[in-house]
Amino acid sequence: MTVSKSNIPAVLTGLGAAALVMSACATPVSVRTVVVTAPPGVAPGAAPGKQVLRWALEGINEPSTLDPAKASDAPVVFATGLIFRGLVQLDAQLRVIPDGAASWTVSDDTKTYTFKLRDNLKFSDGSLVTADDVAFSISRTLDPKTGGGSSGNGAYYLTNILGADDLAGGKASTLQGVKALDPKTLEIKLKNPSAYFLYQLNFITGYILSKKNVTSGDKWYEKPVGTGPFVLSEWQHNQKLVLTPNPNYWPGAPNQFKSVELVFYGGDQGSTTAFNDYQTGQVDVIGSFGQNPIPSQFVPQVKDQPDFHSAPQFVVRYVAFNNKRAPFDNAQVRQAFAKAVDRSKIVQLLGEASVRSQARILPGGIPGSELPVQALDFDAAGAKKLLGDAKFDPATKVVISYGTEGDNAKVLELLKQQWQDNLGVDVTLEPLELQTFSQKLTDTYNDPTKGLQAYYSVWGADYPDPQNWISQQLRTGVGNNNGAYSNADFDKLVDAADVEIKDQAKRLQGYNKAEQLAINEVGWLPLFSPNTSSMIKPYVTGLVFTGQGVVIPDWSAVRSIERS
Amino acid sequence: MFFAQFVVRRLASLVFVLFSITFLTFIVGYLAPGDPVQAMMGAHRDPDTYARLRHEYGLDRPWLEQYTGYVKGVLRGDLGKSYRYAGRPVWELVQQGMGTSAALGLAALAVSLVIGLPVGVIAAARAGSTFDRLSMIVMLAIFSIPSFVIAGVLQIAQVTLFKAGLPNLPTSGWGELRFWVLPVVVLSGASTGYMARLTRSTVLETLDADYIRTARAKGATPGRVLVRHALRNALIPIVTVLGPSVAFVVVGSFVVENVFRVPGVGFIAVQSIGTRDYPVIQSVTLLLALTVVLMNVLADVAYTMLDPRIRTT
Amino acid sequence: MNASRLDRRALILSASVLGVLIVLAVLGPFIYTVDPAHADVNNLRAWPSAAHPLGSDDLGRDTLARLLSGLRVSLAVAFVVEAFTVIVGAGLGLAAGYFGGLVDFLVSRAADMLFAFPGLLLAILISAVFGASVGAFAGGAGRLLLVSGSLAIVGWPLMARYVRGQTLSLKERAFIESTRALGAGDGELIGRHILPNVLGLVIVSATLDVAGVVVGEATLGLLGLSAQPPQTSLGKMIAEAFRYITLNWLQVFFPSLALTILVLSVSFVGDELRKRA
Repeated sequence: MTVSKSNIPAVLTGLGAAALVMSACATPVSVRTVVVTAPPGVAPGAAPGKQVLRWALEGINEPSTLDPAKASDAPVVFATGLIFRGLVQLDAQLRVIPDGAASWTVSDDTKTYTFKLRDNLKFSDGSLVTADDVAFSISRTLDPKTGGGSSGNGAYYLTNILGADDLAGGKASTLQGVKALDPKTLEIKLKNPSAYFLYQLNFITGYILSKKNVTSGDKWYEKPVGTGPFVLSEWQHNQKLVLTPNPNYWPGAPNQFKSVELVFYGGDQGSTTAFNDYQTGQVDVIGSFGQNPIPSQFVPQVKDQPDFHSAPQFVVRYVAFNNKRAPFDNAQVRQAFAKAVDRSKIVQLLGEASVRSQARILPGGIPGSELPVQALDFDAAGAKKLLGDAKFDPATKVVISYGTEGDNAKVLELLKQQWQDNLGVDVTLEPLELQTFSQKLTDTYNDPTKGLQAYYSVWGADYPDPQNWISQQLRTGVGNNNGAYSNADFDKLVDAADVEIKDQAKRLQGYNKAEQLAINEVGWLPLFSPNTSSMIKPYVTGLVFTGQGVVIPDWSAVRSIERS
Repeated sequence: MFFAQFVVRRLASLVFVLFSITFLTFIVGYLAPGDPVQAMMGAHRDPDTYARLRHEYGLDRPWLEQYTGYVKGVLRGDLGKSYRYAGRPVWELVQQGMGTSAALGLAALAVSLVIGLPVGVIAAARAGSTFDRLSMIVMLAIFSIPSFVIAGVLQIAQVTLFKAGLPNLPTSGWGELRFWVLPVVVLSGASTGYMARLTRSTVLETLDADYIRTARAKGATPGRVLVRHALRNALIPIVTVLGPSVAFVVVGSFVVENVFRVPGVGFIAVQSIGTRDYPVIQSVTLLLALTVVLMNVLADVAYTMLDPRIRTT
Repeated sequence: MNASRLDRRALILSASVLGVLIVLAVLGPFIYTVDPAHADVNNLRAWPSAAHPLGSDDLGRDTLARLLSGLRVSLAVAFVVEAFTVIVGAGLGLAAGYFGGLVDFLVSRAADMLFAFPGLLLAILISAVFGASVGAFAGGAGRLLLVSGSLAIVGWPLMARYVRGQTLSLKERAFIESTRALGAGDGELIGRHILPNVLGLVIVSATLDVAGVVVGEATLGLLGLSAQPPQTSLGKMIAEAFRYITLNWLQVFFPSLALTILVLSVSFVGDELRKRA
């Protein structure tokens, strides 16, 4: 059982990922990674304990929690990643390397992992980390009482752990597959062999929490204790989080910093305010998550600057319809709405420097995307005819919902206009705050007959494979299929492709046929693929810009020279 | 005897006002659309938890009982629980912004007094002069023009000046003094205009009064007349003007905090509109209304103390 | 030039400006027929040009067309709210002042209750809480009605109070002028003697109030609580334009200017009327 994770960032692409994948996935994928280095002539490393790095967290005004078991928004996930860490992490080439675990061994059947914790691994409060804490943390994210249960992050990322689904579904009260063999050794048993397990462990659901800290009270996360590079020293509500170096960070505390400030920029105008603050020197890094790039209206003016970084992403923004509620339970109506959209106008609206038109489900670069698909092209006349054939009542109330961030409002207004001009249908827009929107998506999944009629959402790849785009989005019943799209032939095709290990060509063909079905019946109405873009001040060095935003594999290499 | 009667009447009307405010905010919250418990529970929708939450939030009681419960809660400082931040008391969320809003508001009031009063006095002293006409037009303009227009003009000026290389003031956030400049300037507009104009008319009235002419006839110099007699009596209505001025500042803070992203209660309230977190908006409205009422009461008390005529009537 | 000549010129100037704005709002869309909702994606955030005399916004919508549309919304809301304020407020105030007793008590308490709420706060609260569902149910028109309603609710008490006060003082004179002994009924007293004398006050009050209503609607628009796209509110136009003020500040300037001119002309007219009343 998977979950809608429109807000969870995927931190995974790159040569490394492709290399680790088993034969199921053939074509390696190359994604640019850029290490931001100091401009020539500037000496790195200024006085220790003096540097201040100010990082924009676009998308929220105030986190409701810093509990990794519950956090799901990209900015909050990023913040937790500075305070907490897990057994493994990713390096600059996005390969899995040890973090809290010094080493691990994999059994012959590849279903059992045994992790050895680093010697003297301590929490930020000085207490020793034990395998018990790790086991506690992992169970916690799955347990419906403390984490998200079946619809939470834990169930999504860690579903392959033996007993995970039972715990998440409330059928068991302990996690069968995770066991502390001794205070320094942890054993994890999987249900099925997986190429991705270590990557899945890298996400926030694998973060190590201190049992003592978590059980200290309801608001323990206001004084969180973790194994990450920083400690939360001040939470200025509705403004920022102030972090200071964690003296017990095992690779060595990033003491070059006096503090790292994570500044909130939420609401409709958040990214714009962040951009303006960057221009006036009030913040050093903006647009660091794939989901909140530099606002498209500003990109043309900054795209040639050296501090601007941009890359295509495996991300697609799309409209999905509720297949179980009128009027979109009728495929012809969905097709009409799809054909009434002129993607080129959206690209013009947001700028070619920021987005690319996307008419199919698989973004270019994902294996299988070289196989063609016949998309539903813009055809206003055809759309109107379809609507007429479907006997659509023009007085029907149509509401499309979306989360307020970035350019969403603009895109929706353009869509509304296109549906008005090309179909004569007056669609009502329902802007919702991100978390409220997430909640409504989940509600729609649980009871489609009472859920949203249509929504605008986004998907970013977890790993470079069509399974992540086809099976995991649109198969009947999967967690991300909030619109309840269902087609028996589609299901047959993807079920076969999912287990096809030997014949890669056959596998991709299967997904391709399924994709065509989904396009014909508008399981998704894909619109465009946005680039990720960040701006990093030239005096900040050591950050790594990837197609999934900015990552920091090595805090000791990061400098913020001017602010010292 | 009369004073006691006066106090009792004042108290009664105060109680009525407090009742009105709480009643109105309660009614709006009561009639608010959507089912908050359902919204909160989302995915995990089992009937037992639903019923339990409904009971916890007091939503299963008749409306009159809910109202009295609401008022009792308000008196205790319990403003209900947030819908969006599951179960967290609204008071806790709102109180994060109170200090900031209070600082911003007081600074704006201070600026209005410092500018508005002197301008009004001088305009009255030189009634009919160019200064008088000009300043009153300017004050009317500042009073009428919406604060976000002034904010926009200042931002435009900022952007152009910044492009020309001049240092700039932050247009968002809160912290040291430089963050205060733009929001305070914009917020003080309406109350400055109002104070200037009202001060002018009150001073004019007092200058005309009989006792002033008597003083003049007795040979007091115009300056002395102005300071000794006019000003002291003009102070009384100034105290009364503080009431509406606080109202302007309080309502204005909604806009200013959102345009300049100052993390006060107005900012929190508007952000909570997007999250459909009605208890928060409700509570902020209530708190702001109560602030205005409180200031009005204080102004009334000061007024009574300053004007001997009231006491003996 | 003496003071009253200057005053008169100011009055004429303000009144003419106001008149022009009203004409623009009412007739504008018939003369300048560009669709304010049409997104010309080839000309985003354009500076003034032949195609877009005042430029265009973030979605390529023509600013002049949107200004006219926004003006219409501002004036329509102002009209509806004032109509309500005058009819209900003056009506209730008249009744309270004339009949006294229970009517006076009820009306005065109701007015006091609404007075307790400082200005716009109640309007913001109502629009925020009910806006989305009213909009979903009754569309743009419904939303504007809600906005008008919330502004009217907080507007009528002041009018009622003024009229009540005036009625009370007039009541005495009216009784002296036409005695009960002559058999003059309530209707004649109100219609012949009180109403004409109250009218002046009502007109002045209403005019002064309009400025506040226009600003109120614009503020609600700024907070995103008034007209939603494709309708325009001047306040919303300004709020949206703030987002790209560094790219094209004219888009903040034009709606701000329009709003300012509207508000100032109404304020000046009202102020001059008050001085003469």
